[in-house]
Amino acid sequence: MLKPGRAVDRAAELTAPEDRAVFRGTVLPWVFLLPSLLVLAIFIYLPALRTLRLAAYRANIILGTEQFTGLDNLTELLLSPTYQQVALQTLIFTLLTVSLGLLLSLGLAWLASRPIRGAKTYRLLLIYPYALSPAIAGTLWLFLFNPEIGVVNQLLGAAFNVRPRWLDTPLLAFLLVTLAAIWKGLAYNIVFYLASIQNLPGDVLEAAEIDGATPAQVFWRVAFPLLTPITFFLVFTNIIAALFDSFALTDILTRGGPYVGHAGVTTFLMYQLYQDGFVNFKTGAAAVQAALMLALVALVTWTQFRLGERRVHYGA
Amino acid sequence: MARDALGTARRLAPPAVASGRRVPHVWATHLALSVAVLLIAAPLLFALVKATQVSGDVLSPSLRPGGAFFQNLASVWSGAHLGRSMLNSLIVAVCITAGKTVLALLAALAFVYFRFPLKGAAFALVLLSLMLPTEVLIIALFDLVSRDLHWANTYAAIIVPFLASATGTFLFRQHFLNIPSSLADAARIDGCGPLRYLTHILLPMSWNTVGALAVIQFVYAWDQYLWPLVIMQQDDKQVVQVGLRKLIEVGGQTDWGAVMAGAIVTMLPPLVVFTALQEQFSRGFALSEDK
Amino acid sequence: MPTLLPVKAILLTLALAGLVSANIAQAQTTVEFWHSFGDAKRAGWIQARADEFNKVHPGLKVVPSYKGSYNDSLQATILAARQGKPPALVQIFEVGSQLALDSGAFQPVSSVKNVDFSDYIKPVINYYTIGGKVNSLPFNSSSPVLYYNQDLMKKAGLDPKRPPTTYGGLLKACQKIEAAGLDAKCFGMSLNGWFVEQWMAEQGATLLNNSNGRQGRATSTNLESAAARNIFAFFKALRDNGYYTYSGKLEDWDGSDAIFTNQKTVFHITSTADIGNIRDAAKKAGFTVGVGVLPIPDGTKRNGVVIGGASLWIPKGISKEQAEGALDFALYMTNTKNMADWHKLTGYYPVRQSSINLLRQQGWFTQTPLQLVAFNQLTQTVPSPATAGSLNGAAIQTRKIIEEGLQKVLNGTPVDVALRETKARADAALSDYNANFK
Repeated sequence: MLKPGRAVDRAAELTAPEDRAVFRGTVLPWVFLLPSLLVLAIFIYLPALRTLRLAAYRANIILGTEQFTGLDNLTELLLSPTYQQVALQTLIFTLLTVSLGLLLSLGLAWLASRPIRGAKTYRLLLIYPYALSPAIAGTLWLFLFNPEIGVVNQLLGAAFNVRPRWLDTPLLAFLLVTLAAIWKGLAYNIVFYLASIQNLPGDVLEAAEIDGATPAQVFWRVAFPLLTPITFFLVFTNIIAALFDSFALTDILTRGGPYVGHAGVTTFLMYQLYQDGFVNFKTGAAAVQAALMLALVALVTWTQFRLGERRVHYGA
Repeated sequence: MARDALGTARRLAPPAVASGRRVPHVWATHLALSVAVLLIAAPLLFALVKATQVSGDVLSPSLRPGGAFFQNLASVWSGAHLGRSMLNSLIVAVCITAGKTVLALLAALAFVYFRFPLKGAAFALVLLSLMLPTEVLIIALFDLVSRDLHWANTYAAIIVPFLASATGTFLFRQHFLNIPSSLADAARIDGCGPLRYLTHILLPMSWNTVGALAVIQFVYAWDQYLWPLVIMQQDDKQVVQVGLRKLIEVGGQTDWGAVMAGAIVTMLPPLVVFTALQEQFSRGFALSEDK
Repeated sequence: MPTLLPVKAILLTLALAGLVSANIAQAQTTVEFWHSFGDAKRAGWIQARADEFNKVHPGLKVVPSYKGSYNDSLQATILAARQGKPPALVQIFEVGSQLALDSGAFQPVSSVKNVDFSDYIKPVINYYTIGGKVNSLPFNSSSPVLYYNQDLMKKAGLDPKRPPTTYGGLLKACQKIEAAGLDAKCFGMSLNGWFVEQWMAEQGATLLNNSNGRQGRATSTNLESAAARNIFAFFKALRDNGYYTYSGKLEDWDGSDAIFTNQKTVFHITSTADIGNIRDAAKKAGFTVGVGVLPIPDGTKRNGVVIGGASLWIPKGISKEQAEGALDFALYMTNTKNMADWHKLTGYYPVRQSSINLLRQQGWFTQTPLQLVAFNQLTQTVPSPATAGSLNGAAIQTRKIIEEGLQKVLNGTPVDVALRETKARADAALSDYNANFK
């Protein structure tokens, strides 16, 4: 789930609204808006309200049963050590994928933007995996990291005589899924960084170099600050992606395991929701998780707007 | 127009940016990039090799390419109706991409070029939808689409819910705001209506944004998995990601060679779209960011 | 947000639009059959039987289609039933039995019309007989067996003619294998709750209270019983000695099969349904595979196995012709000759006694001695609540909980702690499910 254009949107918000309302009519704009609003009302807002309602029921979609239980689902969920652990894991996973993922993509995009031979080929190869679906990516990683017959352990075994158990050692499994998620998101981030780096004002960079700045200084003191808007935008799209996109990857790679403490180490919020809703058919419990996820995403989006505002003020 | 032209001009002259920068350790850069490319592409290369092996070898550590690619491909193509599901995905992805573009253009038109009561409220309604990804609503959406609409097993179920695009609306709105208002004034004085203005003047000036949005939306639609998995139970209308997944879940007798061949082929349409629209993609986003 | 009234109206309009686009009823009676076999071999076999059947019954048209994993197809059926358009025949996995029953979306096959079930193998028909009614027709059935790499056994100085039959025997063999310094682990299997269910049955122990959930809704698990402890302790011993390996992912059948066929383990436990595939893969890899009975805890009498696999269910809300047509086809597909064929093709048990007799006549078991072991294991099963198999509506979840419990043991948690926690979680899942019926 990638929602580009959030920072863009924010920028649009802040653009001083020069009045362009040149066309007259109060019905016509609604006619233009109707298709969008209708789709949003029916497929986003109505289900959102219904989700909130189901959260107050003990329900099972296979059995078709519904019993009103009030806040039971919510309190049960919040007190559940499983859910707490899953939430914590999701937090760590998100922090790692977003920070490492962005750092790595920025670095690679920077290198690939340098005037070297074959830069274009590098660029193309770097963004290639964007086309790979998460489900297939998961399968590939599963093959590669099979402890006995996976290629990775064949190589490690031959070279260093170690054969780590990637998928059932808790820490390794967590790192592997994190790495896979970073890898999966890399291309998307690189594309945005490449576009932004190409648009950096050349004169400023040049001036810095003439002033005797080292390449590292040019990067950190000049380029990096100039890239703040895009970084800011990517941070939030990456958070959303980490929350929702990781689902297919974990399902295939680890099935959320291995189990440690009160939950599978690679079970994240969305996977837990899917398990409860569509494998265990605990519809009410899944609905209350969905409601909490809504609150979380709302918080992330709200923070984005707040921070965005402040950032722009500083910039001004 | 002016901005667009400016942006293009700047981009047409990247050497101004690039040649100014010294590249002290070219070999180090090459090394770093080569290693990165190799690591990043490794799973893909692996998939390519495996797609050529006979099924029995796929689960062995062997990295020797085999000659079974077309045999594998034929087996998914006919056995798993990959052709059919790719066509379905194509229909769905194209419909979603086109629909989102049209709806977003119309909405942006209303937001930028009209003044009307409750504009703020309408804008907020679009804005807030960013906070409600479909994945989170899936349970209620399932009930709505299957029980109330009786849309399960129709293309509508996997297309219509995704037609509105807050992102697209904002992107176009932003783009329109960058177009001098004198243009619209002139058009109106010439007796040009809003729709005509949109199709004849705005659209030709917005291809970069359209292209950028199209790439993102197409790949997003193409990769859809969870929602079609849940709502679409009729094989002949299923999308390719679920089709691939079903190939894997056949109860312990997976034909992995075929799966890999299928995976490679499944990657092609997004790659084609991406390669075709790469220029627009960079420009469309760069434009909105280059303040 | 506008009031709900216009939204309702819009929904109705959209719904009507959807209905118009939906297809219109046919004159012929169509029997939609949803199954979970995605591979060409098995799906093709089913299609061929449907074609034969359709030729003989011009008024009927059986349309088999693959509906994804068992879980997906169960969901699909319920989804279709909600819209009033269920298929006429659905293949549902054994853990989904209670859930399917509780959903109220199905009718017992024995009430569609009178069928003589006496030819069906007892342990098989027992599983699907609930509350005195045969709810579904057995179709693809299997049980777990021990697979072993004869060449590696010889290398380790073990007699391939005498594979281990108990946990202790297996551990002892592992000792020799380790001493031989082979480039292979002793034992591997997919970590799956199904095996635990089997090992409970072999020990004559029920997994759930209320006679394995068959005399009333199960309310607690017997995971702290001695029988369960034996199983968990076995995994502890495997772990402590480093004898066991798997891909690390739960329920990864392919991953563990691949480890065995790539000669990275000497012993392997998986379903009899894999005999054909594993034999072929072994031939390709250049080793001889053997099949033995499922090793069980030492000192216990062998009670037999629970049938695994899936059965054929007939939903409610279809016409009488459809229901009868569906049952006729199901009976045709599982008739004496077809079941024998199915067995030869896939390794699944022929679920009829007459099919077994036919296979015997054809000399099948002398040609393929591997299958004989699997057969005896099933036919020698002692009927009891334990071997009838456990039933609970949250079985998908409880199975996973048990797997996670075993995984904890493999990661170093003491047996008692793991059992206590697993029982608590599984019991909670049961009561959570049962609360739906208050």
